[in-house]
Amino acid sequence: MPGIDVKKIARLSRLLIDNSEAEHFQREMENIIAMVERLPDTSDIVLRLNPEDKMELRADKTGPSLKRDELLKNAPQSEAGCFVVPKVVE
Amino acid sequence: MPGLNEKYEIIVGLEVHAELSTETKIYCACKNSFGAEVNTQCCEICTGLPGTLPTLNEKVVEYAVRMGLAANCKINNITKQDRKNYFYPDLPKAYQISQYDVPLCQNGWLDFLVDGEERRVGITRIHIEEDAGKLLHGESFSGSLVDFNRCGVPLIEIVSEPDIRSSKEAKAYLETLKQILVYLGVSDGKMQEGSIRCDVNVSVRLKGQEGFNNRVEMKNVNTFSGAARAIDYEAARQSALMEAGETVGQETRRWDDVKGENILLRSKENAMDYRYFPEPDLKTIVVDDSFVSALKEGLPELPNRKTARYMREYGLPAYDAGLLAESMDRAAFFERAAALGLCQPKNISNWLLGDITYFLREKKMELSESAVTPEKLADMVSRLEKGEISGAAAKIVAEALLDSGLSAGEIISEKGLAQVSDRDALESIVDAVLADSEKAVIQYKSGKTNVLGFLVGQCMKRSKGKGNPAVLSGIIAERLK
Amino acid sequence: MELYEYTAAELSAMFRAGECSAEEITRSALDRINTAEDKIQAFLTVTEENALETAKSADKKFSAGETLPPLAGIPIGIKDNICTNGILTTCASKILGNFIPPYDATVIKKIKTHYMPILGKMNLDEFAMGSSCENSYFKKTRNPYDTERVPGGSSGGCAAAVSAGEVPLALGSDTGGSIRQPASYCGNVGLKPTYGSVSRYGLVAFASSLDQIGVFAKTAEDAALLYSVICGKDEKDATSVRREYPDFAADISNFDCKKLRAGVPKEYFGPGIDGEVRDSVYKAIELLKENGAEIREISLPSTDYALSAYYIIACAEASSNLARFDGVKYGYRSEKFENLIDMYERSRSEGFGDEVKRRIMLGAFVLSSGYIDAYYNKAKATQALISREFASAFEQADLIITPTSPTTAFKLGEKTADPLQMYASDICTVTVNIAGLPGLNVPCGLDGKGLPIGMQFVGPHFSEEILLKAAHFYESLRGELPRALL
Repeated sequence: MPGIDVKKIARLSRLLIDNSEAEHFQREMENIIAMVERLPDTSDIVLRLNPEDKMELRADKTGPSLKRDELLKNAPQSEAGCFVVPKVVE
Repeated sequence: MPGLNEKYEIIVGLEVHAELSTETKIYCACKNSFGAEVNTQCCEICTGLPGTLPTLNEKVVEYAVRMGLAANCKINNITKQDRKNYFYPDLPKAYQISQYDVPLCQNGWLDFLVDGEERRVGITRIHIEEDAGKLLHGESFSGSLVDFNRCGVPLIEIVSEPDIRSSKEAKAYLETLKQILVYLGVSDGKMQEGSIRCDVNVSVRLKGQEGFNNRVEMKNVNTFSGAARAIDYEAARQSALMEAGETVGQETRRWDDVKGENILLRSKENAMDYRYFPEPDLKTIVVDDSFVSALKEGLPELPNRKTARYMREYGLPAYDAGLLAESMDRAAFFERAAALGLCQPKNISNWLLGDITYFLREKKMELSESAVTPEKLADMVSRLEKGEISGAAAKIVAEALLDSGLSAGEIISEKGLAQVSDRDALESIVDAVLADSEKAVIQYKSGKTNVLGFLVGQCMKRSKGKGNPAVLSGIIAERLK
Repeated sequence: MELYEYTAAELSAMFRAGECSAEEITRSALDRINTAEDKIQAFLTVTEENALETAKSADKKFSAGETLPPLAGIPIGIKDNICTNGILTTCASKILGNFIPPYDATVIKKIKTHYMPILGKMNLDEFAMGSSCENSYFKKTRNPYDTERVPGGSSGGCAAAVSAGEVPLALGSDTGGSIRQPASYCGNVGLKPTYGSVSRYGLVAFASSLDQIGVFAKTAEDAALLYSVICGKDEKDATSVRREYPDFAADISNFDCKKLRAGVPKEYFGPGIDGEVRDSVYKAIELLKENGAEIREISLPSTDYALSAYYIIACAEASSNLARFDGVKYGYRSEKFENLIDMYERSRSEGFGDEVKRRIMLGAFVLSSGYIDAYYNKAKATQALISREFASAFEQADLIITPTSPTTAFKLGEKTADPLQMYASDICTVTVNIAGLPGLNVPCGLDGKGLPIGMQFVGPHFSEEILLKAAHFYESLRGELPRALL
């Protein structure tokens, strides 16, 4: 079983996990992974895209957009018609 | 660093993102256009509100397939979309819907000319994806501002093979690509609006070396000339490192075109883990063979091919042929005019690229909006070739052709522009001019024969442009003998 | 008998006969909410004014002699992960605690065009992740049959409210059993339709390839009425399927049990299943057999793997679906932070509960570089295997009968300590989502403690008609089930 680097996974998920939680999560996730390790051998199964699953495409026709007020209504912070985030250094 | 160019070879691969000029965005019905007020061209779908779902715009698939066909790609009849997961404020769903292992188009190539020589660059793949929004920065704001108007603008990403060997080749490749995109009508190609953007992959190796060294990916390259500068800078940086016995790391760097240098963004150890997986909100994209072959048949002759053909068939110089081919309208106009066989194709080309283009620009008019037809232009050029009108008169005819709706013949007679070759009439004009130009006559007789041009000009003026300059010149020379 | 005690079909008939108004029906439900809600805690938001307004407009249309759809004037509860324009939609999460969608889910649009008064938004496990409704950030819903026990989950609020008479109908969502398991615990009919038959547009995604909106009702006929309202191709949902959807209620009594071939998979009756549950389901099967159904023992050997495959696929998709909750566009943003990344991390860590975090991280792990083949791709292959086994089972059976859950409702707090134990309560239902099939819970009795036991019917894709008819027929054999006494 691969060791789960909970801290790394948390970073990838943009979650903060302190050390005691990390241990807790680690154990739980390892249990779940152990359950997963029991999956059968599926090497004979080739997953192919199914053409019968064909998607209907949308016609290229303009529809209404949202009013800006509606769009920004739920924003934790907005200014000058925009959403505001902490300064990003590019 | 002298000598390094001989010692090292530059390897370049390009990833070009082109915004498609569809009516609507890729996954929602919001208008796809540039320059609207911030956050006014968005809806619950393109801003990723909880519960919303994407629906794929059929034109996006069509445009991508057309570009794929133009780039000689294999079109995958059955494809899908995948999610590329990462957090950034301009990406409202925190994933970009893209294509991962099965792109719509793959394994193609593009031919183009570099210094008159044909080059071929392989196209690894072309896939469809959505654009992200924009961050705005300003001192007066409490943070960075996010505008989602660009979210969901359809993109194709065109990935080349590492076949490019110099910055010059890279620039020519990019220009060719842009020309084709515009030609096919799949992108407006406006660099200043960010319609075409590219990431540049550069590595260097010792000449003769097999295989590739680590490559560096450069972001934030916004112009074609910037791409050339970025490549040269990076190649020099890498050769210098190798000269110093160091290895080049596999990393991502950010190009700063103002400073003319790049800085490290992240090294391989910190490479992003995008966790691609199939987009569960969309089903299989199926493009039928019949659809693909219909698009293939509808494909116009591409500018790079056209240029080569014009050089071959009409004997045009590369530069002129390229300019003509650039615009689909102008190229079609030229071919129809040339096909009439009334005059020299080169002369038609000269008029089209010269005075006609100049007058159209003056009148802020497109060729297609003007009254001139290939027949009318060819007629005018042939009259010029036959000496029925002078070059000066032809300019007047050409300008009038654009907005009058009359034929060249009608304009010539209406404006009285027919060239006068009748000797008697011209002799009296010459005599009058010589009588008025005592100084010039003396100069001519003292051996300064170059005043002949001045005297011919005076005669032309007096004839209101109708005199045949060759005949006039002959008469003057006789009189002053 | 009070109006709130009737079924939707009965209310519909009474309304049409002019015996009661839509407003009276709605007021009766609102009164019931007033008295029962203290004990049940099924609602996150009650939308009294909206509901009465719709009821009055239904009444107006009726008195004007307009033709109204069958469920006009019949009130409904909506799981709080389905977007309602202008009404809080929280997913029972702190992170969406103040989110007011500016648009309606497609099913909500349909409910509105049918003049069905929306009574409110129902509690759930946060983002529909859980099997007991205990993962709600806001409140713990109780089982009306025993308020010390859970209503099941994740659509616990819907199931409890229907069972308590607070609403005659409810819309829930089912990703791994989230309709059927709580329906089983609370003694409702719960239908999880075929994947693609109901638009997911406006359903806040947990696992997009498994999520399906479905219905809670007191009877199979009511479920058929409501399912007929919400099913159909939606231009806004690319995964929804274009086909003919019949009126499922019109012909519901037309069922010939003698033509039914029912498959009973032995894997669903193993040692993990509580003895009383097993006996009760066997008894129901026996009843069908006595009425002419052909019962065939079948085998679905990969059932054991379903739970693992389910958690990998569901968590992988969830990790991506829930990444958008980042404190930028809507929902919770942490009070203090140093920079952008800190803002992301604090907002998400403070905004999500433990179960959600656990699944997000598990999902990120199974998709991460180096692991995707061993986990995600393998789970997808297992999914194909399970689907294949179902397909061949349906060559010899029209529907498959299993218990809905291994046990009846458990006590609050009983399983919260061990996620794996909690996950096990979905063991009979996840296979159905994995294969995209329709599944239906119909109550088949009470256990010794007086708690409802559920039986699950599973059919081939788009076989809802057979499932509903068979359940309707079975209800007539079973007779009335004792109601929850509050």
